Amino acid sequence: MILRRPVFWLILIFAALMAFIPFHANDVSMREDLILVALAVILASNLNLMIGYTGYVNFGHIVFYGLGGYVGLYLATVRNWNLVLAALAAGLVVSLFALALGMGILRLRGAYFALATIGVLLAVQSFVANFDPWGRSTGMYVDFSAYQRLGGARHALWMTYFLVIGVMALSMILSLGIKISKFGLGLFAIREDEDAAVVLGVNTTVFKAIIYSVSAFLPAVAGALMFYKNGMIDPSIAFEFMLSLEGIVMLMLGGKGTVVGAALGGGLYEKLRSYLLTSPKLSNFQLVIAGALLLLVVLFAPGGLIGWLYRLVPRARKVIE
Amino acid sequence: MKRLALPIFLVVALFVTTGFAQNLTLGFTVSNTGALNVDSVEQLHGFELWRDQVNAAGGIKAGGKSYKIQFVSYDDESNTKRVQQLYSRLILQDKADFLFSPYSSSLTATAAIVTEQYEKIMLTTGAAEGKTYTLGNHYLFQMFTPGAEYLKGVLDMLKTKDPKAAVAFVYEDASFSVAVVNPAKEYAQKLGFNVAFSEAYAPNTTDFSAIIDKVIASKSTVLLGGGHYADGSTLARQVYSHKVPLKMITLLVAPDSPQWGELGDAAVGVIVPSQWEPQTAFKAQYGPSGAEFAKAYTAKYNTPPSYESAGGYASGLVLQHAIEQAGSTDTAKVAAALNATDITTFYGRSKFATEANQHGLQVGHAMVLAQWQKDKSGKLVKQVVWPLAAKSANLVYPIH
Repeated sequence: MILRRPVFWLILIFAALMAFIPFHANDVSMREDLILVALAVILASNLNLMIGYTGYVNFGHIVFYGLGGYVGLYLATVRNWNLVLAALAAGLVVSLFALALGMGILRLRGAYFALATIGVLLAVQSFVANFDPWGRSTGMYVDFSAYQRLGGARHALWMTYFLVIGVMALSMILSLGIKISKFGLGLFAIREDEDAAVVLGVNTTVFKAIIYSVSAFLPAVAGALMFYKNGMIDPSIAFEFMLSLEGIVMLMLGGKGTVVGAALGGGLYEKLRSYLLTSPKLSNFQLVIAGALLLLVVLFAPGGLIGWLYRLVPRARKVIE
Repeated sequence: MKRLALPIFLVVALFVTTGFAQNLTLGFTVSNTGALNVDSVEQLHGFELWRDQVNAAGGIKAGGKSYKIQFVSYDDESNTKRVQQLYSRLILQDKADFLFSPYSSSLTATAAIVTEQYEKIMLTTGAAEGKTYTLGNHYLFQMFTPGAEYLKGVLDMLKTKDPKAAVAFVYEDASFSVAVVNPAKEYAQKLGFNVAFSEAYAPNTTDFSAIIDKVIASKSTVLLGGGHYADGSTLARQVYSHKVPLKMITLLVAPDSPQWGELGDAAVGVIVPSQWEPQTAFKAQYGPSGAEFAKAYTAKYNTPPSYESAGGYASGLVLQHAIEQAGSTDTAKVAAALNATDITTFYGRSKFATEANQHGLQVGHAMVLAQWQKDKSGKLVKQVVWPLAAKSANLVYPIH
């Protein structure tokens, strides 16, 4: 039972605090900082389903986020759908797309799969850059009046913030739910030895396609919300390869394969980048410092922060999953 | 008591000086890292020169007070992801009174959502895309001529020289260049030109040979397009090495950079639509003349100003003019003054649309065309060739 897991309650408390503190203090700066933290947690947690749980490195994970942004923005602005419905529809469409795609490319393994994911990213980006209804390479813009329907930009941005926090909590709960399920065990079996998993009766192709599709849903919803909040989307912003790589770095930092590790890595990485960027003394060296820190983590704590914690306090394994 | 005298004096002095020294905080983000770095930093240099000159002259004088300018800025990494976070911070934590936009249209569009929300004036510079202004804003004011106008002058000029030219459009598949080329294609057809070829290439393209072969096969005589520096300079180099028989080449943005001259013979004859060139002789009603600006800029940064730098400086001037006209730093009053602005500075005319459906769009400023030509000593220089009233040399046509 998921409800008996202490981490489940920790996730809820964490999300509630993240939603409550900036709202209570009416601190928009803090909200803007935290929404990027939440986004990092969402991306890292869902990427963890592929990399950490299944052992398949997905370099093109950001494609779900970008496509979700496009579908969501199209429905919300051109078709005038309600934002929440548009975001959910975006998640669904992108998940189905991932499922169909996954049945094909997930027959590949190891480096070949990783290469194929980069191919998917580039192909989707080129398609979108030539797709008329989505504005080709100039992208789509949100009319300022669209925010009026949600009670003005101020109100609309708070609303998207709460929704993104909700998606963040769901991402972590989803990670936990899969981890403790039989389906999760199947994924772990694939990660450890795919051939052995087949022999044990795990339908690996279907399992992999399902997890690929599931890992697409929440990032797509988050994409719809974030690009709506940003007011515009174009292919170079939506499908940024760098963000895909950053997702992998976040996982390494926190500890792949764990629920808390993925979230912690995402949150810390974003906080660190954001701090270095705005610090008057360090801003010129921000990339150097971020790079050096990551190198240290990889060298001295290869299991990420959570792996390091497990080594230090072996009992922590039971509480912090 | 004596021992306390000095601290008391210091505290009082501090209060007195902070109480009377009026500071005006301007906030913006700069792309210190990432793809937009070069252009964005040139724009920043324009802002800085303006600030230093205004402060050296005692600050902006409005309503009987003087305001010294101070800047707060952050690195946006050439990326929209962080722009809203940084602009919220500028407005709420750093208490910026007025804002300048980031460099590029997409970053500016994203920042505008936040600045509109807090009803802060943002002068947008380095952002030519016109769409943002049609979305119902109240506090945006565009300094650049909108993208749709970029290539119209070239076509007008071509019409006078060679109305039968066959035109090829080869351009970067990116937000800005597409926004420029699409209206230009329509305009070319309207003028009766034969648009013989049109193809967009992916950003970061380094091998243009396939496209160049198609241009040759289409028998085009004129090439229009490009995008940014890296692709534009590569395209020009490869067009030259393939010996494509073109009579005219016009590329966006890249040939405006002083670095362009380093391409050698490949650079000769290439035309760039420019927001401003040092040779353009506008009679400034307000602020320095073009020559004075270029001289001060070159003395400070050891390089001649680009139009991004001029746009940056001019944004400062236009804001300063509006604050002086308003006699106050109150947002509503300054916005009203900006709406009423119609001035000519060294950068040319600045006037903003005031209709609700396109508020802030630049309607006064006109583009000039500059062509790279060899001077008498064989050195490559940029000459203004259009409009005829502002020209510094005659157009070289055909180039080969």
